[in-house]
Amino acid sequence: MRKIIFLIITMISFWGVAQNNVIFDEATKSYNAGKYNESIENYKKIIDNGEHSAALYFNLGNAYYKLNKIAPSIYYYEKSLLLDPSDNEVKNNLAFARNMTLDAIEQMPETGFSRIFSSITEFLSFDQWAITAIVFMLLFVLGYIAFYYLSYSSQKRAAFIISIVALIISVFAVLIAYLEFGSYRSEQPAIVFDNEVIVKSEPNSRSQETFRIHEGTKVFVLDTLSDWNKIKLADGKTGWLPTKNIKFLKDF
Amino acid sequence: MNISVKHFVALVTLLFFALLSKAQDSDAITFEAKLSKDQLGINERLRIDFSMNKDGDNFNPPNFDGFNVVMGPSQSIKSSWVNGVRSYSKTYSYILMPTARGKFTINQATIIIDGKTYKSLTQEVEITAAVERPGEEASADAVADDNLHLVAEVSKSGPYLNEAISVVYKLYVSPSINVSNFRALDNPKYNDFWSQEMPVTKYSVQNGLYEGKSYRYVILKRVVLYPQKTGELEIEPLSLEVTVDVPTNKRDFFGGKVYTSTNITVSAGQRNINVKELPTEGKPENFGGAVGKFNFSVTTTKTQLNASESLQAKVEVSGKGNLKLFQLPELSLPSALEVYEPEFNEGIRTTTEGMEGTVSNNYTIVPSFKGKYPIPGITFSYFDPETEKYRSLNSTEIMVNVIEGPNSGSANTSNPSSYSSQKSVVTASDQFHFIKTRAHLKAITTESFFGSSSFYMWFLLPMLLIPIAIIFGKKREAIGSDLAGRRIKKANKLARKYLSAAKKTLGNKDAFYIALEKALHNYLKAKLKIETSEFSKDKIEELLAQKQIEKGSIQDFISLLKNCELARYSPFSEVQMQEDYNKASEVISQMDKQL
Repeated sequence: MRKIIFLIITMISFWGVAQNNVIFDEATKSYNAGKYNESIENYKKIIDNGEHSAALYFNLGNAYYKLNKIAPSIYYYEKSLLLDPSDNEVKNNLAFARNMTLDAIEQMPETGFSRIFSSITEFLSFDQWAITAIVFMLLFVLGYIAFYYLSYSSQKRAAFIISIVALIISVFAVLIAYLEFGSYRSEQPAIVFDNEVIVKSEPNSRSQETFRIHEGTKVFVLDTLSDWNKIKLADGKTGWLPTKNIKFLKDF
Repeated sequence: MNISVKHFVALVTLLFFALLSKAQDSDAITFEAKLSKDQLGINERLRIDFSMNKDGDNFNPPNFDGFNVVMGPSQSIKSSWVNGVRSYSKTYSYILMPTARGKFTINQATIIIDGKTYKSLTQEVEITAAVERPGEEASADAVADDNLHLVAEVSKSGPYLNEAISVVYKLYVSPSINVSNFRALDNPKYNDFWSQEMPVTKYSVQNGLYEGKSYRYVILKRVVLYPQKTGELEIEPLSLEVTVDVPTNKRDFFGGKVYTSTNITVSAGQRNINVKELPTEGKPENFGGAVGKFNFSVTTTKTQLNASESLQAKVEVSGKGNLKLFQLPELSLPSALEVYEPEFNEGIRTTTEGMEGTVSNNYTIVPSFKGKYPIPGITFSYFDPETEKYRSLNSTEIMVNVIEGPNSGSANTSNPSSYSSQKSVVTASDQFHFIKTRAHLKAITTESFFGSSSFYMWFLLPMLLIPIAIIFGKKREAIGSDLAGRRIKKANKLARKYLSAAKKTLGNKDAFYIALEKALHNYLKAKLKIETSEFSKDKIEELLAQKQIEKGSIQDFISLLKNCELARYSPFSEVQMQEDYNKASEVISQMDKQL
């Protein structure tokens, strides 16, 4: 009896997964037919079912782009990049969507070292770096055991070199994952959803206007006070704006 | 004529007396005010004379409250010698016109004569209602005053801020007089107003009514004003000097009326306007001061084009109102578009109702990259003074689609030089990518794999494999290197298995040998699967030989069996028993290897 119940439960859970995939395919079809609203509904259904992926967010971004909705489009592209920071297709389409925004915010120029560093860290997400570290750690262990047991000196040498290299890569990957994880934790990016937001110098409506930002601009939230958020732009400007005007990227 | 003759007679008489009686005392100085009448109608005039009999300085007239000074002061000096007596009289005269009815007091006037201040007495005057003066001939000025009116017509006395009002200056002339010339003395300056004059090129005479009477009138000036301040504002009067021909009662030789010409000054009078503030209630945030009735539109010349072609976006406001006095709402465009300074165009006519027409800003836009660019809708708000409400007009969003052209690339730096260097890299991804068809769905979790305990387990557990593998290998090596020990171990094991019963009875001769014999047979039974206890020794020897067991081992085995039989009948020492036990275990292990 118990066995049967277990079987049913596993079947249902598999059916749920299978159903999400069916919904995904359906959404792909309606996107291709130009029914973007329908495909958005379906994609959101999958998210409501508790599943997501970089591809799903990318597709949502595409559908919103086709509907000329700037903010949601950029929002989902950025989300997709959070899960998979190395996808060039996402970056490309994000550039298209960014063309629609009103604000031209220049990135703070990065120095040579930090540019190299960020290009390395952004190659994989920190979870992917963690898996890389584990794979290379296994390789190191196998190489070391091989070194221990092999009898010919040439084979021994090769095994030793492989194991040491694998160990270095593994430690390096953990380090990158750690740093990336730290910056991921400390950063709280958000996208502006309102047409125009007046950024104030203090977290109240009486205070002076410092600048204005428009729909689709990415901001980094530094601080929160009741209904206000202190934000920083990519060019280093800071100010306060009401929380209702922005949407956090890390809401999963 | 009568009077003058009388005066003459009197003068001559006086002169005569003066010459006769030379010196008469005339020391008493008098200073008095004399009114022509002490009761008069409001339409009449009053003459007041201040006369003194000795010349004085510093004449200080009273302020004639309740009167306007029509003329004066005029001085007249009269000096005469009569019979050697000098009579002197100096008079200051004013002609006053009352401004209101009632009793008025004319205050004292002062003068200094021979160092002493003299004051006149106060005089009381009563002003009654207008009296008829039928027989009196009006003066030319009075006639002109009555028949010439300059009027400023203001279209609205309580406009809103920035709402247009018009002021039309009309000169009404009654048919009985003629205007031969006029000249503006003072052109009003409209402070606190934005004004635009509609010049009158030709004065055309029209007929109209003024205060119920028919008049001819000429429009002299038309001005449209937009108040720029709230509160009580003043429109300065326009003053004209007009030359008029007034008919007199005289007739010329042919019986026609004789006209006399006179110059009079007319002014339109000061007008006050109360400018209302625009209501704060419901005032839109982006209200830019437009008041009137407008239409609003944003249009582009193209919505589809190639990069580096240009398009024009036009923000246009048309209608009636203060078109020149507000800022057009600005177009906010995506930063990726190149936008030039807008060109301002206006086509405005000014009528007495205000400005009418269109104002527009023309933006020239050049997209440099391919993609879609939204021109967001903008809002234009104005105040409608008719309905006294604010209205907001929204333009719809326009999507500009740039079909052909370079891609801005994934860098999107809007920096052309860096773009060109990247061109070769991104040519493959020069288009908007299609969606992904593979889902790779995962459960949404807040926890990340990195930093979780499973991560640390997976990361560190492989390390444990190293010592485990090393220990395992060491042990195997050790076992492989010790062969003799292994043999002993094996023999011990076999002995334990078969000879355990015998070992227990070691020292007890009978029991030991029975157990030993049994053990030997048991061993054969286990190995050869044959029950050998009933077999003869020859038979066992033959069987073992068949199994190709060494001769020596067979001999030993058989001799052991023999010993077991012998021991039943002959005494055996303990040492022998121990020897036999050791021998048995050796034989069994030897045979075990060969079987």
